[in-house]
Amino acid sequence: MSVAGDIHKLLDETVRRERGWLISSLVSKFGPGKVELAEDVAQDAIVKALATWPYKGVPDNPRAWLRRVAGNAALDRVRRSAREFGVDDDWDFATEEHDVITPSLSDPELDLMVLCCDPAIEPRDQLFLALKTVCGFTAAETAALFFMTEDALFQRLARAKRKLKAQSGNLARFPTRFALKARLPQLLKVIYLMFAWGFLPRRGEDLVREDICREALRLSDGLFAATEGKAAGHHALHALLLFQMSRLPARVSGEGRLITLEDQDRTRWDKEMIFDGVQHLGAAKSSNDLTRYHLEAGIASLHAQAPIWEETDWASISRLYELLNARTPSLPVLVNWAVSLMLQGDLEGAGQRLLAAGDQAGAQKLPAYHLARAKLADLTEDRASARAAREQAKACQVSAPVAEFIERELGFGE
Amino acid sequence: MAKFVLMLPHAPDRYTKLGEEDFMDLMKDYIGWVEEMSAKGKFEGGEKLLDEGGKIVTNKSGSIEVHDGPFAEVAEILGGYMVINAEDYDEAVEIARSHPHMKHNETIIVRQTDASADE
Repeated sequence: MSVAGDIHKLLDETVRRERGWLISSLVSKFGPGKVELAEDVAQDAIVKALATWPYKGVPDNPRAWLRRVAGNAALDRVRRSAREFGVDDDWDFATEEHDVITPSLSDPELDLMVLCCDPAIEPRDQLFLALKTVCGFTAAETAALFFMTEDALFQRLARAKRKLKAQSGNLARFPTRFALKARLPQLLKVIYLMFAWGFLPRRGEDLVREDICREALRLSDGLFAATEGKAAGHHALHALLLFQMSRLPARVSGEGRLITLEDQDRTRWDKEMIFDGVQHLGAAKSSNDLTRYHLEAGIASLHAQAPIWEETDWASISRLYELLNARTPSLPVLVNWAVSLMLQGDLEGAGQRLLAAGDQAGAQKLPAYHLARAKLADLTEDRASARAAREQAKACQVSAPVAEFIERELGFGE
Repeated sequence: MAKFVLMLPHAPDRYTKLGEEDFMDLMKDYIGWVEEMSAKGKFEGGEKLLDEGGKIVTNKSGSIEVHDGPFAEVAEILGGYMVINAEDYDEAVEIARSHPHMKHNETIIVRQTDASADE
């Protein structure tokens, strides 16, 4: 791990983004003719703020810190010489200081996301709306993510939009930060789903949509600046995204083929992301609420920390899946739990969970379910069942590279 | 483990004359160092002193005089100080050697705190 490398990245990214934010906020105050002045003020303020870091180290939330401190420094300077800036003496930036932590000053996408998560809209429809509008998902992608038909999706979207229109007609401005706070769990869910799609798209030519993963990560980051990391589970979710993201360089071969966790060259994992993930997981522990993100991030961190596949801590992983299944039972969780049991030799336990999974609606459409059954059949040397299960996986809706991967596995079985 | 104070003087115009890029590069060196030392448990804390202002308070044969800091004329001003943990002067000097202040041709004053009255 290179501390210097981390610092370089952190400073470059933090300063670039916060400078942009500060400049655009100031321009909106001074007027469009004063871009240069705004740049000067912003730069001075940032330099002044940053100069303490060599003596103090980097603050826990550098972006929020820089935004606050540099924002105040800029405000000071403007107040001291209001005339120079062409603003009235009674120019009221002070009352808007609160807005420093509302998203409406920082990120138009976050604004829209908060709008979409209006409680007047059904929770599931909020997600559809946010993914479709903010995250730029196509209808086909959104539908595939929820195992829905496109028609059904369109109907629900239309209804959600009508409600949103009725709601925002009453709004003089973007939702307040109190509204934001109430909507945080949904915002986290949008980011989670967005990332999940980017990490394993269910259709298309790409094995990974790294841009979507990055955008999800960026929005999550943006949400930190807006909430100072106070949302339960946010740090955990962020850690999860980072751990998953860290594996991307090793997950796709030069030819765009899927490389599973077992065969990945772990030296290609992004160490900086893992490092950041560990930091966020540490921060997540201070939260009183245990969310599903905590458990999922815990699982991801165990993978990230195993130097080789053979040293994966499957016992802890399956324990976390068990907790996850008790907390937020779902088909993929059950399937993954089964796989983790399988990999520590508990074939019977794995088989039981897969049977239970098979009884659930949607199992037949989930490639991971069929692939887990195939793996179990491999282990018991039941070649016919393994082959049948892989054929079923292939028939599910998957991206082209995943289909190719299953094809290869089928080939090995010959 | 003893505590040592690193005092970091610099020329009054050391940072003001730098361009934005150069300043950022400098910051990266300094902040990287502090983070690395923190990770090793060597860094205790520090304060940056404001470049502007400063007073000198002197008792001149019974009457106390207060002057603004004569910092414009001096070759160096104290930019700030840090407290580090080290076994002895050898280690403290070793740590000071690694400080970016050295890379940038500055001086560091290293002094051990007197802990004899501590528990």
